[in-house]
Amino acid sequence: MATTTAAVTLTSDLLSDNMSVSASTTCMKAGTTADGLDQMEYGYLDLPTGDEYDLIATTPTATKASKLYLKNHSTDETYFIAITQNSQAIGKLYGGDWMFIPADFHDAAGDIAITANGGTNKICYALFHEGTALLAT
Amino acid sequence: MATTTATITINSTDLLTDELSLSSVSTLTTAGTSTGVTQTSGLARKTTSAASAAAIQANVLYRAGDYTADKANKVYIKNTSSTAAEFFTVHIDQEEIGRLYAGDWMFMPWNATSGTKRVGTVTIAATWAAGDTWEFDGITMTAANSTVADIAAQIDALNYPNWTTTYVATEATIIFTERYASSASYTALVTADGTLNTNGNGTADVSSAAVGSKSESDITIRPSVHTAMTYETLLIHE
Repeated sequence: MATTTAAVTLTSDLLSDNMSVSASTTCMKAGTTADGLDQMEYGYLDLPTGDEYDLIATTPTATKASKLYLKNHSTDETYFIAITQNSQAIGKLYGGDWMFIPADFHDAAGDIAITANGGTNKICYALFHEGTALLAT
Repeated sequence: MATTTATITINSTDLLTDELSLSSVSTLTTAGTSTGVTQTSGLARKTTSAASAAAIQANVLYRAGDYTADKANKVYIKNTSSTAAEFFTVHIDQEEIGRLYAGDWMFMPWNATSGTKRVGTVTIAATWAAGDTWEFDGITMTAANSTVADIAAQIDALNYPNWTTTYVATEATIIFTERYASSASYTALVTADGTLNTNGNGTADVSSAAVGSKSESDITIRPSVHTAMTYETLLIHE
């Protein structure tokens, strides 16, 4: 099985004492500890302002343990991408921000959609999953 | 200025034919600026459980109404379970984002788009007497004297579980604002929502009441089993 680990560390001095939170997970298929996620797609793209785009072109199998990493590589801090799922606003990734979420893709409406603001944003993403429903031509 | 950093590393030696190594560091700043975020909920840990599978309820992690909307808020959630099949389902409002299986964590931006809150103006008028009472939201005000402005001030000074008040000294009106965006009835505040007990003909009528709208992005998580499951969470916000 493939072994993919994702680790996060959050550190801050915004409290009166230092704060540090760390977590690491091995990305497994849904409901197992013996079989890791073994498929991925990766992309780096320029996202122009204007339209909203679906980030993932194919549809990963729904209700699995897919993980989505998304980073806004824009260096202008006023640039951001707005992220929605099924028209539900999730949040905004400003230049330099990243996110890592479990992605359910519960149905065709569950696609992650992104919209650039401020100017052309540079986006990097990686999707770790356990299968996709390929779209027929 | 506070400096808060979020670092992610994703590694795999055997997912691809080449080694995968991805690392990113983000300094968390307020929306559209290079100024660091300054507020956090602090790290929280909670164990969920229910009497039976049928009794499982979603837990509200963060209410959008408590935070400023459209900012650069970030949410961290971890499922500390070690049982592979146990997961938390994460929702924003009614939209399912995904499942956090045992040991999984997530880190995402959050819009915190709230709805609008119910508002109503209560006017103390006519003839009141010391000892008269007005009950609202489970809280009872007992008039200390017969002056309507003093009674309004007394009402403003109380702490209501579901409402906040705005009062201008010497006036006889109090503006009530619901603490959270409307969720249940979507009906306007009315005079009958208060219970008046007066020896005279004192009134506490509600006017200018506005119906709110429901919150649009509260974050909830629902455990997959009714037995104990534990999550950890942290919100960094503006």
